[in-house]
Amino acid sequence: MAIDTTIYVRPQSGISAYLDWLQMLTGAGLILFMWSHMILVASVNFGVDAMNTIAKFFEDSYMAQVGGPMIGLTFLLHFALAARKVPFRTEQQSTMWKHGKMLHHKDTWLWVVQAVTAMIILIMGAIHMWTVLTDLPITAQKSAARIQGGFWLVFYLILLPMVELHVGIGFYRIAVKWGFIKRKTRQGFKGFENILTLIFIAIGLITIVRFILIQVIQV
Amino acid sequence: MTRRLTFNIFRYNPQDPESVPHTDNFVLEEAERMTLYIALTKIREEQDHSLTFDFCCRAGICGACAMVINGRPGLACKTLTKDLPDEITLMPLPVFKLVGDLSVDTGTWFSAMNEKVESWVHTNKKMDPTVQEERMNNALAEEIYELERCVECGCCVAACGTANMRQDFLGAVALNRIARFIMDPRDERTEKEYFEVVGTDEGIFGCMGLLACEDVCPKQLPLQDQLGILRRQMGWTAVKQLFHIAK
Ligand code: HEM
Ligand code: SF4
Ligand code: SF4
Ligand code: FES
Repeated sequence: MAIDTTIYVRPQSGISAYLDWLQMLTGAGLILFMWSHMILVASVNFGVDAMNTIAKFFEDSYMAQVGGPMIGLTFLLHFALAARKVPFRTEQQSTMWKHGKMLHHKDTWLWVVQAVTAMIILIMGAIHMWTVLTDLPITAQKSAARIQGGFWLVFYLILLPMVELHVGIGFYRIAVKWGFIKRKTRQGFKGFENILTLIFIAIGLITIVRFILIQVIQV
Repeated sequence: MTRRLTFNIFRYNPQDPESVPHTDNFVLEEAERMTLYIALTKIREEQDHSLTFDFCCRAGICGACAMVINGRPGLACKTLTKDLPDEITLMPLPVFKLVGDLSVDTGTWFSAMNEKVESWVHTNKKMDPTVQEERMNNALAEEIYELERCVECGCCVAACGTANMRQDFLGAVALNRIARFIMDPRDERTEKEYFEVVGTDEGIFGCMGLLACEDVCPKQLPLQDQLGILRRQMGWTAVKQLFHIAK
């Protein structure tokens, strides 16, 4: 807390509050999107047709064409809002790093993980969205071909855990910050959240394997 | 078997231009029911008279003896050596101004904090010493007391990543303090007035929910719960301001 050496009248405004609301709401919106996204992509495990049907539904209803860019905007907005909290100055970064090392405190480390995964998602997520949305329609065959190229396989193997970690920690964070989870339920909820994250990573990995196998089956 | 404890203690005297920050090692035999207060006093008496550290009540009440114990902020007088490994590293609390070795000036920080959040009951009622005090509902009084138990030790501030990165962040102790006055029916401040104090990025909206404050508070104040309640209250006040219905 700084001690003021100037006297000035701060104009009364709720700006911090509105930005915090938006940060939480865009975060929550992206979580919901990621869960739906997982359902769409993982549907390939029930067969190529299952995924293609769902993808076609999204395109016929224009949800992919309109919703895609909307998610893109939410993504950017969320980045701009959350970036207010990310230490970009080296001095702050090293303070946070030393602090984390000193404290041996899991939740503090989780925040560091959140900030680091965020930067990776910013770059890789943007590339991924661009690639998919400029190459509509989404079909299982196209996705499979991409993954089998090798480059995208490595790409997704990195992006998947990054996103799931960020989503999992973000979910937990919203719950504790806004008082949905109280002291009594915190440890239990954290455990639940960790398991959820692991399950999502597992489903993602299975899905990637499935994509690798698709063409093999079809050729 | 009595253990031999090794203390690695941060040493630096900012008043002495010759002094450079370094760590000194002291070896001490553990005694029964030994606290860090007892250990430090013994070291000062028997090994190094110049060792500087703060103590007052020795009973976890005054909050003077907070320091970083093996990485975690805590009260030295409440910490038993038997709960610690053979090697014990002691550092002064970060964020606060260093007086010397393990002693920091929490007083200046806390009086500035108390001024900033106006840590007193705001009322226009005149006190009449001849009549009996107004009664308060007992359950409510106990709830307020729960938050009053803060000893201003500074552990929550030192443990907070946000406070370490940002000088202007008020910290959990100040947010808990405001929560205490919001609960108190005698305080006549309006929700808008409270919002002005903590509805900012220096206040509740700067808190990133790392919950180190909750995990280190030696008095186990319900900081997590209060921060959550406060964020909601201030969040709603902001929404109400949008529609001009905030009081
Ligand atoms: C553009 C890339 C992204 C960046 C830079 C980013 C950055 C951040 C940061 C720094 C935080 C912590 C904020 C704080 O502690 O106050 C955060 C929180 C969060 N992020 Fe992201 N994020 C990104 C993408 C995503 C995505 C794709 C999702 C969901 C799929 C997501 C979901 C969340 C959630 C739910 C939170 C918690 C919100 C809160 O604490 O208010 N983020 N993000
Ligand atoms: S809230 Fe707890 S940790 Fe913080 S100053 Fe008060 S007693 Fe110390
Ligand atoms: S929850 Fe975290 S950021 Fe908020 S006051 Fe506590 S330690 Fe600081
Ligand atoms: S000496 Fe008072 S709290 Fe430790």
